[in-house]
Amino acid sequence: MIGWKKTARHCAAVALAAVGLVTGPVSAQTQTKIGFNVPLTGFAAADGASALNGAKLAIAQANANGGLGGKPIELVVYDDQGIAKEAVPAVTKMIEKDGVVVGVSGSYSGSTRAAASIFQTAKIPYVTAYAIHPEITLAGDFMFRVSAMGEVQGRAGAKLVNDLGKKKVVIVTIKNDFGQALAAGFKEAAVKFGLTIQNEYEYGLPDRQFGPIASKIKADNPDIIYASGYFYTAGPLVSQLRSAGITAPIIGQEGYDSDKFIEIAGAASEGVYVTTSLDRDSDAAATKSFLTEYKKATNAGPDMVAASSYTAVAVAIEGLKKTGGKGGDALRDAIAGLTYDSPIGKLSFNDLHEVAKDVQVQIVKDKAFRRHSVISDPVLLAPPTKKK
Amino acid sequence: MLYVELIAQGLVQGCIYAAIALGLTLVYGLLRILHVAHAALFTLGAYIGVLTTNATGSLALAFVAAMLVSGVAGVAVFRLGYQPILNRPPFVALIASIGLYIAAEEIFRIVFGASGLSFVAAPLQSQVPIFGGLQFKQAEIAVMLGTALIIAVLAYLQNRTRIGVACQATVSDPQMAESFGVSLQMVRDINFFVGSALAAFAGVWVGLLNNLVEPTMGSVPAYKALAIIVLGGLGSVQGTLLAALTLGIIESFGTIYLGKVLDRNAIAFAFLIAVLLVRPQGMFASK
Amino acid sequence: MGYEITLLTTMGISILFALSLNLITGFCGQISLGHAAFLGIGAYASALSTKAGAPFFLAVLFAMAFAGIIGVVVGLASLRVRADFLAITTMGVGFLFVGIVRQQDALGGELGISGIPDTGLSRPAFMVLTLILAAIAAALSIYIKRAWMGRVFAGIAEDEDTMRVLGIDAPSYKLAAFAIGTALAGVAGALYAHHLKFIGPESFGFVESITVLSMVVVGGIGSVAGVAIAAALLSVLPAWFQIIGDYKLLVYGGLLFLMMRFAPGGLAGIFASAMQSRNRTTNRGKP
Repeated sequence: MIGWKKTARHCAAVALAAVGLVTGPVSAQTQTKIGFNVPLTGFAAADGASALNGAKLAIAQANANGGLGGKPIELVVYDDQGIAKEAVPAVTKMIEKDGVVVGVSGSYSGSTRAAASIFQTAKIPYVTAYAIHPEITLAGDFMFRVSAMGEVQGRAGAKLVNDLGKKKVVIVTIKNDFGQALAAGFKEAAVKFGLTIQNEYEYGLPDRQFGPIASKIKADNPDIIYASGYFYTAGPLVSQLRSAGITAPIIGQEGYDSDKFIEIAGAASEGVYVTTSLDRDSDAAATKSFLTEYKKATNAGPDMVAASSYTAVAVAIEGLKKTGGKGGDALRDAIAGLTYDSPIGKLSFNDLHEVAKDVQVQIVKDKAFRRHSVISDPVLLAPPTKKK
Repeated sequence: MLYVELIAQGLVQGCIYAAIALGLTLVYGLLRILHVAHAALFTLGAYIGVLTTNATGSLALAFVAAMLVSGVAGVAVFRLGYQPILNRPPFVALIASIGLYIAAEEIFRIVFGASGLSFVAAPLQSQVPIFGGLQFKQAEIAVMLGTALIIAVLAYLQNRTRIGVACQATVSDPQMAESFGVSLQMVRDINFFVGSALAAFAGVWVGLLNNLVEPTMGSVPAYKALAIIVLGGLGSVQGTLLAALTLGIIESFGTIYLGKVLDRNAIAFAFLIAVLLVRPQGMFASK
Repeated sequence: MGYEITLLTTMGISILFALSLNLITGFCGQISLGHAAFLGIGAYASALSTKAGAPFFLAVLFAMAFAGIIGVVVGLASLRVRADFLAITTMGVGFLFVGIVRQQDALGGELGISGIPDTGLSRPAFMVLTLILAAIAAALSIYIKRAWMGRVFAGIAEDEDTMRVLGIDAPSYKLAAFAIGTALAGVAGALYAHHLKFIGPESFGFVESITVLSMVVVGGIGSVAGVAIAAALLSVLPAWFQIIGDYKLLVYGGLLFLMMRFAPGGLAGIFASAMQSRNRTTNRGKP
């Protein structure tokens, strides 16, 4: 019985391979499609809009440079509302109906996590732009991620506190996977640096009123505040901390990384540190050209989400160029072997297909993000590997 | 000292809740509709507030414009949306209201963008020291004073004017009021106008406190205001007021001391369920 | 094929879930705004059991029993409150569920549970199982509706006090409705978890509760066929609406509103009036 099943599976595999050989050249005739799931409606629509802009820019640039062997590349966009339930039919459809050869997630962790196993089962490479859930890359060997994981960013935050010579920290954590991962990484490294965590407060994604937390932090009187959030929570948070009379420096992360944060927090945003992946004052050609091109294309200031989505799509295109449009195992191996100069730094993937790179520290000065320092510590910032 | 600050912060939030929930309770008291789309009028008010301030530089004008526009929109929602289905079971209006809210949220996103709007130069942002290191944003003090003032004005109108008395009479006995020559239509219109204007009032303040108005800013008030009017005993103005302020203070302490156990919404609803188990008619219901 | 299978599986789960709420809200008239909590309880219970090595079918049974037991507990508490108070109380239960799950590391906290094991069924077989379970739920619903229990439910929905006067033990029947409805929701949750292979607290929040209630109301409250059709349609609407992209939720919300405004009886109501007018035209010929 078992033997029969095995034989049947072998036959099916051979048959599929044969079909693949036959249809291979045929599908190369048509346009190469990159699938892109992104929250265009729902709670994450603001980040979704940025992500889509970044992805479109990457496609436009590639097509202006001749696309893939002279043919333009097509971006197939599906709205997943940032939720798992909507992502599943969306990515199933882009795989089966549109026949995408590679997928890119421009979405949050929930939908990306659900989509990951579908791409893995279909043996189609899936590049995650900025979702930080640790289990995304654990879904299998077709998964890639171009951004640093939450824990890694949290450890960078603790190092920044230490570098700034501060000891007493209060943590303000946003209650979702992003905040939880950041806090876990921060606390882990805080022990190493001998930091004292005075208190930790948590808030929910819809919260915009932080008066009580501000009052309590004022009583705690910390040296520095490590507060996670997105620009739409961080703007009101920073502004309310300052108006309660708290002068301690504040460290944010890539969720802050949007001009909108500065617009909302206004004068209170001055001097806020942000650990992120986009350096506005970079000398690197890839970053500089992205910053100007993005501004030209969208007439808006680039942010981390846009830069990461741009990078994820660009990585997928780079892989496709290596394989000449072929997908599957060949594309997976091609992407895994890439070293790529992206707007968010030089990328190469480890055996778990996570990237190791420096963390950029930006500081808000005169209503703009400016370079403060770069945290470069390959040991501290090492992403998890397969063996873990 | 910390407790004083926490109470004060709770009151600021409570005042916002009060302004939103009062409008909702006016509507509920009269028509028994769980009016979720009330939160859309709150958002509308906030948008009008920011747009007007940015265009004219006058916050006072922004309040007037926001309250007028939302008030009229509220009457339109009632006339076009609810009036034809009033004699249906209550969940029909509830679902209609939810549909309306979802659609409104999307319209704000499509028209004004997903990342929301901010004031170009947000007014009332400077600090006011009170005593012993305690300090507030001007806007926070203004919220409390403004809400107290508007409630006082409403109470005066309700008890001292013909229309106010007519409204009260209609709530307690519509048939009787009608037989005394009160126009039901007019009373309902006025209730929706005033209730929606109050929501807009709260919306402008929230926009000012956060310096941010977003398409989704109504999603929390949409359900929390319902919880507050239930706590207050459904339809009772005094009860709603007390419930709103109490909830504001409980959340204020809760986020600090219970934040690790339950989130803000869960704290609010744990409180609600606890109250309803002891007093199924609401915390401050008269009966 | 896979895409159609995914859609049909989603549909089957939604039908099962909507029918489970229809038992409580449709048949028995008890409005619930927190039904997604029971979907969540089933999803978490089953996911944890299969991750611990339990066979899938056992996990489904466990999910069903566990959700049903919690359902009875919530039902007991809900006996104290009625109508709109009940709606808000159940909404509170929903928020409490999400609030509690978020803080439990054993339940994955904010990260949720991923890597939920395969069921051992192929995807088409899983789809067939889902559709069969949905069909069983529909058959059970129709059976209950025609049985004595269904008539008592209808009586309670119509006028609970009269039923009590008639000497009918209304609380026990309400509890029965809660028990069956929440147990079915638990089954739906188990299917949901093993279909998506990933669950998180956000999946079972207020929005999901509202979505399922709209399925029931749009279908025509209490109508088994109507609710099943509405659940099937509304569950795949967002996928179909991909074409209209940006306007997806706007159209969804707008449809909900227009449906309630112009056809408050839902799909069942539209169907009934269509039948009626046809009968009228056919009868006209004969005196």
